[in-house]
Amino acid sequence: MMKSSRLGASFRDPSGFLFRCKDVLFRQVNQSYAAEYNQLMESGLYTRLVETGRLVPFVESDQPPAEEKTAFKVLRPEQVPFISYPYEWSFGQWKDAALATLAIQKQALKFGMTLKDASAYNIQFFHGKAALIDTLSFARYQDGQPWVAYRQFCQHFLAPLALMAYRDVRLGQLLRIHIDGVPLDLASSLLPGRTRWIPGLVVHLHLHARAQKRYSEVSLAEARSDRTMSRQAMLGVIENLRATIRRMEWKPTGTEWSEYYLGTNYSTAAFEHKQRLVGEWLAEIKPGLVWDLGANTGVFSRIAAEAGSFTVAFDLDPGAVEQSYRAGKLAKEQNYLPLLLDLTNPSPAIGWHNRERDAFLERGPADLVLGLALVHHLAIRNNVPLPQMAAFFADCGEWLIVEFVPKSDSQVGRLLRSREDIFPDYTRAGFEAAFGALFEVAQVSKVVDSERWLYLMKKKEEL
Amino acid sequence: MGIVLRYLDPGSGSILLQLLVAGLAAIGLALGTRWSRIKRFWGRKKNPAEAEENEEDDEE
Repeated sequence: MMKSSRLGASFRDPSGFLFRCKDVLFRQVNQSYAAEYNQLMESGLYTRLVETGRLVPFVESDQPPAEEKTAFKVLRPEQVPFISYPYEWSFGQWKDAALATLAIQKQALKFGMTLKDASAYNIQFFHGKAALIDTLSFARYQDGQPWVAYRQFCQHFLAPLALMAYRDVRLGQLLRIHIDGVPLDLASSLLPGRTRWIPGLVVHLHLHARAQKRYSEVSLAEARSDRTMSRQAMLGVIENLRATIRRMEWKPTGTEWSEYYLGTNYSTAAFEHKQRLVGEWLAEIKPGLVWDLGANTGVFSRIAAEAGSFTVAFDLDPGAVEQSYRAGKLAKEQNYLPLLLDLTNPSPAIGWHNRERDAFLERGPADLVLGLALVHHLAIRNNVPLPQMAAFFADCGEWLIVEFVPKSDSQVGRLLRSREDIFPDYTRAGFEAAFGALFEVAQVSKVVDSERWLYLMKKKEEL
Repeated sequence: MGIVLRYLDPGSGSILLQLLVAGLAAIGLALGTRWSRIKRFWGRKKNPAEAEENEEDDEE
């Protein structure tokens, strides 16, 4: 029998769990969840959510369950091409994920169900849209019951969004430390005073934080006593959360890179030549999954996406990622996912046993990696020696399209202006030697009207 | 609350706060609905983004 392995992130909810068998992802639904599962399917809620792109679809599978004793059903969900985490989302992505969660809850109520959790990790970008991946998140709604996932929603969505919109967009990174969302007392103390004039934030965040502190010793039974909350009131709370979040805005201005393409040093001819070369080489390789590292606003990533590869466009700058997301959303791109990532400190593995959320490299490898106008930044800004850089790229994927920008280029000159040149090996020969140790060069071309070189490389077999 | 709901700690304070604002929220929703009816009556159009989202989430 094939070995099935349960996923490290899948342990909190006794309703079921995810497991992998021969690289295929399955979800086991336990008997304890049978009634809810049947209601989800028979009420029409499942169909409704799948039709509106709010739930990742699945089929019931005859795959044997990973844990026979508790099993009710085994499902095979449609695969999400790249799993991303909230600390990798731009403001707009996070906001859309929050609004999707509220829309799902509202829809669920119409079918007599309710979300029993509201974790940001349950939302993924699927066909360009924020969608729920956790089939086991629905419970039967009983009239009078408050929303059990309210606290989690505020910690995973409301608090980080408020911090990003009203304090600093970089505070989204707090989720890297606080896996169950930003503690509300922390958010409340970090938010500026003017947020005390926003009714939604006063109630759901500032007062919420105080209520948590004040009633931390009170048992749940005491807290509820015999009080109930009407369906209308629950809808009111959801509507109010939605209005509060919709009003939050963050505009990508003033960040370092978002105007990058306006300020490049090379000519239109060079830019077009680079685009053409990348397009031709992509057409030759036809990669399934492309990672564009240092993608900026995703001009080159979208060439890959439009050619049919699922493309993840990583960039360090929240402004670039935001612009990239907005452009992709507007164009209704199905296979394009911009994400926030600092290559000098990529997302680590976090959570229980370090196995709940995978590190950046654990979510690879990609079929092809794009590293355009990137090498000089890593080498000269971050002092990464070229052999170490080649090793990193070799861990990222099979194929590599990489650009070498020599010291004589004005962009590199600009980087060197403010520091001592301690990079004697930063030459084209040094670059070719370092990358040649791990990659075979398949194509090489000088970019016209520039001093830049473009390489198509394939990782050596024995590695 | 059934056992399925209880895997997540809803937090006593969070539950209490919801119950406390429940009345207000219900009134707010009723007023909001009425207000949008008034706006519709006077022919004020929703902005396109809002319209699109409502189309997805609200229409039945």
